[in-house]
Amino acid sequence: MPATLRPSGSLRDVVGGQAEVQVEAGRTVRETLAALGIVPEVVALVVVNEEQRSKDYVIQEGDVIRVLAVIGGG
Amino acid sequence: MNGYGGRILRVNLTNGTVTKEPTSPDVARNFIGGRGFGIYFLLKEVPKGADPLGPENKLIISSGPISGMMIPGGGKCDWTTKAPLTGGYASASMGGHFTAEMRYAGLDSIILEGISPKPVYLFIDDDKIELRDASDLWGKATFTVEKQFKEKLGEEFQVAVIGVGGENLVPYACINHDYGRQAGRGGVGAVMGSKKVKAIVVHGTKSIPVADMDAYRKAGMALYKACKDSEGLKDWTRYGTTIVVSWCDEVGALPTRNFSAGSFEDGKNLYGPVMREKIVITDKGCFGCPSPCGKYSRNKKYNSYVEGPEYETIGMMGSNLGIDDIEAVAQANLLCDDLGIDTISAGNAIGWAMECYEKGIFTKKDTDGLDLKFGNVEATFTLIEKIARREGFGALLSEGVKRASKKVGKGSEKFAIQVKGMEQSAYATHNATAMLLAYMTCDVGAHHNRAWAITYDLQVGREKVVPEKVARVIWLQNFRPMFDVLGGCRLQWVELGIDRDLYVPALEAITGIQRSWEDLDKVGERIWNLTRLFWARENEGFGRAWDMPSPRFYEEAPKSGATKGQITKLEDINRLLDMYYEQRGWTSDGLPKPETIESLGLKAVVA
Repeated sequence: MPATLRPSGSLRDVVGGQAEVQVEAGRTVRETLAALGIVPEVVALVVVNEEQRSKDYVIQEGDVIRVLAVIGGG
Repeated sequence: MNGYGGRILRVNLTNGTVTKEPTSPDVARNFIGGRGFGIYFLLKEVPKGADPLGPENKLIISSGPISGMMIPGGGKCDWTTKAPLTGGYASASMGGHFTAEMRYAGLDSIILEGISPKPVYLFIDDDKIELRDASDLWGKATFTVEKQFKEKLGEEFQVAVIGVGGENLVPYACINHDYGRQAGRGGVGAVMGSKKVKAIVVHGTKSIPVADMDAYRKAGMALYKACKDSEGLKDWTRYGTTIVVSWCDEVGALPTRNFSAGSFEDGKNLYGPVMREKIVITDKGCFGCPSPCGKYSRNKKYNSYVEGPEYETIGMMGSNLGIDDIEAVAQANLLCDDLGIDTISAGNAIGWAMECYEKGIFTKKDTDGLDLKFGNVEATFTLIEKIARREGFGALLSEGVKRASKKVGKGSEKFAIQVKGMEQSAYATHNATAMLLAYMTCDVGAHHNRAWAITYDLQVGREKVVPEKVARVIWLQNFRPMFDVLGGCRLQWVELGIDRDLYVPALEAITGIQRSWEDLDKVGERIWNLTRLFWARENEGFGRAWDMPSPRFYEEAPKSGATKGQITKLEDINRLLDMYYEQRGWTSDGLPKPETIESLGLKAVVA
C-alpha cells in the first residue's frame, strides 16, 4: 500500500493541481519532495499522520503526509 | 459613496478642533484607501522638511474598502507619517478591530495634526467626537490604559494607545491595540506622543453602503470557503507565523547573535510546536479572520499573559540575542508591548549592543553595569525598560542602531543591521539575494513585509543574480502592500494560498468600481513611486547609497549554520540595484525618471 502526500496551496501547482498524490514508502520526505519537483527547502512543515516530522522521516506504507510551503511569507 | 464611510476626520490638536471633510471620489478611485490614502495626504499636506516630531507632521490613520466587511482579514488599518526613525516614509499596518469601528463611525481616515498643549485622548462614538483630557493616563502602561477604557466605556469601544516609549518620543515607539496588536514600525507611536495624544477610542454603529449586496455576499462567501477548504488552514491556525522559525533555522535565515549567522544552535527551543506546547493557551484573531494567527500565551515562569510571540519577535528577541528560552522571549514581548516599543527594532538594537560589548567596544562602565553578553535574559529585560524610558545606556539604544553606531564609531557601524535607518527585521540575508534586495529597496527601511522573496531565492538558486529575481521583488512590492491599501490582511493569500482573483469581485461589489489585478498592481506601482519621491523630497542627496545594506551581508560570511561561509558579493549588490532601477524606470541613482512619473499619471500629485 503506498502512502498519500497532500501538498498545500501553491505546492499543488507543482504536482499538476492535484489535492493528493500517491507516493512510495521507503524514501524520505525530502527525497520524495525532490522527486515530485518540489524544492524541499520551501517546505516549512511536514505532518505525518497528524504528527510533526522532519524532512528526513522515512515514509511508511499507509502514511498520510501533509506538507506546508512558505511561499508568500510573513 | 459605495464602499466608504465617506468622511475624513481632521483633528487639529493645537486648536483642539475636530472637523469632517467628505472623502474625495477621485482620491478613492485612484488611491483606494489605507496606505494609498496615507501617502496621498502625506505628500499633499506635510510640508517639505517638517520635523517628524513637530506640529507640521501628521499622523494619518486610514481604513480601506474591505475593512470591517465580511471579507477574510478585513481588520487592518494603516498608520502613515514622516518617520522619526528614518526621516522618510513610514507606514505601519495594524490588525485587530479598530479599523472596523472606524468604518462604522463613518470614517475613512483620521488625520492628527498640530500638537496639543496637554495630554489628550480622542473619543469617537459615531458622531460624538471630542478631545478629552488624558493627564491622568500619561505615564501609564498600554495594557492598563486599554483595560481602563474597556471597563469605563464597554467592550465594543476599540482602543489604540501609546506607552511610555511613545510619550518619551523613542523613534521606534509603536501604537498598541487589542492587548497585543501593534502599528509597529518607524516610530508612529513617537509621532502620536509628540502630539500629546495618549489614545484613540472609537465605536460606531453606522452601515457602510455597498453597491451590490448580493454580489458582495456571494464574493465574501467564496473567499471564506476558499480559506476553509485550504489544506494549510489547520496548521497555520495552530502555529501562526511561528511555523517559519524551524524553517528559517534550517535554511539559514534565522537571525542569530546580531545577524552574524542564520542558524541558531539552540534554535529548537524556540520552534513553533515547542511554543504551542509550552505556553500557548488559545488562538486570537482580528476582525473577520477565519485563520487566527495570533497565539495567546500563559507564561508560568514569569506569571504573565501575552499575545505572542510571533515569528519576528522570536527571531529578534530570541536567536538574535542568543536567547533560547521561549518564556523569556514571551516576557520580552510583553515588556515591549506594555511600554510601547517595537520588538523588532528593540531586539536589533540590543543585539548590536551585545556585539559591541563582546567586542570590547562597550564595557560595564558604558552599560550601566549590565553584563551584556549574548544570552543574558535579565539584562535584556532591563534594557527594554531603559530604552522606553530613555534612561542611562538605554537612551543611546533608543536612537536606533544607525544613529547610535554613528555616535559610538569604532567600526560598530559595520554591524549596525539597518537600511535607511530602520533596523532589519528577522531574516538573515547573507546568501538570499532577492530577499536582500527586498530589504534594500523597501519603502520604509529594512522591513520584510513588502516583498518576502526568500522562498523565491530557494526556488531559483539563492546566490543567483538574475533579472527574474528583481522582477519578482518588484511584483511583490507592487502587489503585497495592496492589502494595506484595501484594508485587509495578506496572510490568507500568503499562508492559505487562496487565489487573489477572489478579492476582485468582492471589491467591485462593495465599491461598484470595476477592478482587475492588473489595475490594482498599477495602483501599487503608483504608490511605490510616490513613497520613493517622498524620501527624495525629504532627504537632501537621497539616492543609491541609501539602498545599501549592512556590510555584514557582503563582508562577513557566517562561521556556522546553514549559510556557513556564504556571502553576497558587493558587485552583485550593485548589479541588483542596477537591474532594479532599470526595471522600475528610475535613474541609476534610484530616482523615478520624469517619464516614469508621467506614465504613471503622478505629475499632478507631486507638482
